[in-house]
Amino acid sequence: METKTLTIGYYALLREQRGLSEETLDSTAATPGELYAALKNEHGFSLESNQLKVVINDAFKAWDTPLNPGDNVVFIPPVAGG
Amino acid sequence: MFEVWSTPLDPAALRVSMKNVEAGGFVVFEGWVRNHNEGKTVERLEYEAYEAVAISEGNAIIAEATERFGLLEARCVHRVGSLELEDMAVWVGVSTAHRGEAFDACRFIIDSVKHRLPIWKKEHYTDGDSGWVNCERCAHAGMALEEATCKHNAPTLSEASYYARQIHLKEVGQAGQEKLRNARVLVVGAGGLGSPVLQYLAAAGIGHLGICEGDGLEASNLHRQILFDAQSVGESKATLAAQRLAALNPFITVTTITERITRNNVVKLVADYDVLVDCTDNFETKFLLNDVAVLHKKRLIQASIYQYEGQLFVYDPKHDGPCVRCLWPEMPKPGCVGSCAEVGVLGAIAGVFGTLQAVEVLKHLLDLPDKLQGDTFFLDLLSLRSHKVKAERNATCPVCSTQATITAIEAEAPVELDATELNGNLGDYALIDIRERKEAEASPLPVTPALRCPAGDIHLDDLHIDVPEPWLLVCTRGMRSKYLALALRKAGCEKVYSLRGGAPALEQVK
Ligand SMILES: [Zn+2]
Repeated sequence: METKTLTIGYYALLREQRGLSEETLDSTAATPGELYAALKNEHGFSLESNQLKVVINDAFKAWDTPLNPGDNVVFIPPVAGG
Repeated sequence: MFEVWSTPLDPAALRVSMKNVEAGGFVVFEGWVRNHNEGKTVERLEYEAYEAVAISEGNAIIAEATERFGLLEARCVHRVGSLELEDMAVWVGVSTAHRGEAFDACRFIIDSVKHRLPIWKKEHYTDGDSGWVNCERCAHAGMALEEATCKHNAPTLSEASYYARQIHLKEVGQAGQEKLRNARVLVVGAGGLGSPVLQYLAAAGIGHLGICEGDGLEASNLHRQILFDAQSVGESKATLAAQRLAALNPFITVTTITERITRNNVVKLVADYDVLVDCTDNFETKFLLNDVAVLHKKRLIQASIYQYEGQLFVYDPKHDGPCVRCLWPEMPKPGCVGSCAEVGVLGAIAGVFGTLQAVEVLKHLLDLPDKLQGDTFFLDLLSLRSHKVKAERNATCPVCSTQATITAIEAEAPVELDATELNGNLGDYALIDIRERKEAEASPLPVTPALRCPAGDIHLDDLHIDVPEPWLLVCTRGMRSKYLALALRKAGCEKVYSLRGGAPALEQVK
């Protein structure tokens, strides 16, 4: 399995639960779906991936999009405050 | 009707004018000249009004009260000129079907008249002294209670000087200002986002500005809703906002909508507008506004905030971009992400995002370059990190694609069902007995419910009702079940009903 260095961003509830808004890490995940599952497991995120959007390099992407080294991956929950 | 009279008020004649065959009662308030004020003995006094403003504002108060309390007749007359002790200075009368609304409306009118109208009184004291008092409107504006400076002068400024700095921009000019004057923009929600949106759009000269807000001002609003004053807690936010905007820019028309936007009224409410600015704070209204924007071809400028961050999105029917449901086909279920009330928010964050919304509205109306179209802008004000994220139309979007399942805004189904409506189809509903265990044990239902779940165990932010909708809630008399069904609807559960009459009504279902 290939190890990739990725930049991960978190917004809203995920930022709160992770305790930071951005981090760089090495991952063997092939897709953002796999990556989120691993992070959720590690940090105890309360949201399922189907409640989130994933942004890769500034575009919304499907959860099975292949990840490439150096990708910027951002997880975004819906928010409604006003 | 609101009037200013310089002749004595005749309560008998005024009373007769309030007759209405539909009225079950009539409440009147008379304000009299008393012989003392703040320790001084008063001999007589004089009332003076800025009549044009007093009458238009007074009529606005009457109209507001009529709508808010469902009045049949409402009238207020204020005296001006010289009055003696015991003379009547003001008369308020309201006729309604029921007494509760009559008392509330009468109180509302007199308080608003005292508070909002430019009417002053000069008291003459027995010691030969005199003084102007009681211009609450001026006092609230922080003005000195001096006779000479207390007048609310009608603006003498010109539109050209008002907008000069903006017209000076080469992308705007007279032609751009004209576009703004002809624009019709509805701002939904006069809260944290709505405060800057409304002020900047009013000041920019949006010719027709609508404010849709059903709530009254609460103390917990004030740290971010900077359109309002601390002393106005309890008053209608739409009305307060309209007053503020009228003072800010006398050249525009402001319309207030004091009802909450729902599936039943949204199509009618947005009909007069080209641009909708979503400043609401809940998914239900946000998704409703998206759907109405797509189906009725309105531009939608949406923002949502969370603690120290927020997002900005624009749907433009003239541009082949995505709508909200292209990204989020289903409305998020309540409880999965917190609201401002639950998670808190820094007030200035609302200021940033409301201001961004106002900028996008102006960019779109003026057709400025690089306007947000289809992208979502995310900004975290803690790290100052931002992402402008591209999104595509979703070929299976439930509202804007060729496979759309939402093709019209359907009126909300009534929450309460009668036993007769359930004849023969009770089996289509998952019957949920929400009575407390003792009640349920004391009188079992004639049919076995799909679920027993006492109302006290149902938490909207952590919902565990594991039977498929539609749900039919049953309690002992139908009150708790109705309340809970309404709350569940508001939280996004669409197919939830309450059995009118409660458990006994179930016996009648055939
Ligand atoms: Zn769509």
